Amino acid sequence: MKKQLVHIKGTKDGLILRLDDQCAYAELLEELAQKASEGGIEGKLDVQLHLGTRYCTSAQKKELIQIVQQQGNLIVSKVQSDVLTIEESNQRVLQKKCDTYVGIVRSGQVLRATGDIIVLGDVNPNGRIEAGGNIYVLGKLKGVAHAGVEGNEDAVITASHFEPTHVLIADRVEAMSNEQQAVKENMDQLCAYINESGTISYDRIQKVKEIRPSFTTFKGGS
Amino acid sequence: MGEAIVITSGKGGVGKTTTSANLGTALALQGKKICLVDTDIGLRNLDVVLGLENRIIYDLVDVVEGRCKVHQALVKDKRVDDKLFLLPAAQTTDKNAVTPEQMKSLINELKSDFDYVLIDCPAGIEQGYRNAVAGADRAIVVTTPEISAVRDADRIIGLLEQEEIEAPKLIINRVRHHLMASGDTMDITEVTTHLSIDLLGIIIDSEEVISSSNKGEPIVMDPNNKASLGYRNIARRILGESVPLMSIEPEAKGMFAKFKSLFTK
Repeated sequence: MKKQLVHIKGTKDGLILRLDDQCAYAELLEELAQKASEGGIEGKLDVQLHLGTRYCTSAQKKELIQIVQQQGNLIVSKVQSDVLTIEESNQRVLQKKCDTYVGIVRSGQVLRATGDIIVLGDVNPNGRIEAGGNIYVLGKLKGVAHAGVEGNEDAVITASHFEPTHVLIADRVEAMSNEQQAVKENMDQLCAYINESGTISYDRIQKVKEIRPSFTTFKGGS
Repeated sequence: MGEAIVITSGKGGVGKTTTSANLGTALALQGKKICLVDTDIGLRNLDVVLGLENRIIYDLVDVVEGRCKVHQALVKDKRVDDKLFLLPAAQTTDKNAVTPEQMKSLINELKSDFDYVLIDCPAGIEQGYRNAVAGADRAIVVTTPEISAVRDADRIIGLLEQEEIEAPKLIINRVRHHLMASGDTMDITEVTTHLSIDLLGIIIDSEEVISSSNKGEPIVMDPNNKASLGYRNIARRILGESVPLMSIEPEAKGMFAKFKSLFTK
């Protein structure tokens, strides 16, 4: 008997299709198409594809999704793979990295970081910081800060003294001329973030714990 | 071997040229041999402020292009005996007539003959600025307490920090006590904390500075003026003396003060 290349497993949330990672890609496509067209399923069903240790390009992933979804009642919610290219892995490391800049970001200077950035010093008016991740200023932030440049809406901007001219997170822009109440009342130790309704809000640094509970990477400390 | 100090500001009209002329004269009065170099090619006026305009024969571009020797182009200020010289800028060409490398070798040549070479930098951050900074060992940033001037000073300090020269020092020019007291301009501490560089000195605003530049006679020649005192103090600080910062408050004009002055004189 021929070895099964697509294992189907049912869970209460939907189906998991575990695809064989040793066979030829063409064979896999064939069997997947056949399994997907067998039918016998009523209503819409959520499907997850597990690729194992097979590396698929994004075009191939799209092809797999298309084959599964061609009947119309199976919806692919996730494609999971155990492998990562070196490039992707490096990208992730860069995004997780936290750079430190010691000094003053003066007028006309631009600081760019792929991940988070800590500035030990002030950011003067017309100085600019751009980070893929979060921005932490241990000093006065009086210039422009852009967190989550690549579109990360979870990014936050914090500063010991929060008095920027412009705050940008992902694609949101806020010119601080129409200062918000929270900023006007207390400029010390503030944090800017995108709230549930998709606009930039401000709160005390102490609230970051509730706003972004997943930020802590530090383990232990009892 | 002398030292080359560039006097710069970013913004125009804050008093770079006046400061250059006065610091040069003040240092010369202290007995140092000084050469002032005007790098504002095309818009020269250090010569006018010093009152040496009609004594110019050759200029900086003539020297750089080899039409004359350095000593032929230097204009001597006869008021301070053999201590103060000016290398004037050319007026008929523009900043691109000189390269930073040429300036560097010129300044190095001057440094061997003088105790201090003061380089008056043009406004802006383009070629003229790059030429002026090229040969300098130290930098003095001039600003006024206005926000626009402080912004530009901030930019220039950022640029200077990328050069291989000592950390720049700050001069706050045209300090007016009543505006600072009322909060209409930034006060001294606000400016220094914002720019966070060392303060070299302050110059109290004085109308005589304008009239003296128009006469071609630097204000430091007048020993009783407050602005003059400011420049003299800065010159002493450049020479390494520690001089306390002068008070910006105007002298008391009350009854008691008048009485006191009667008895002290």
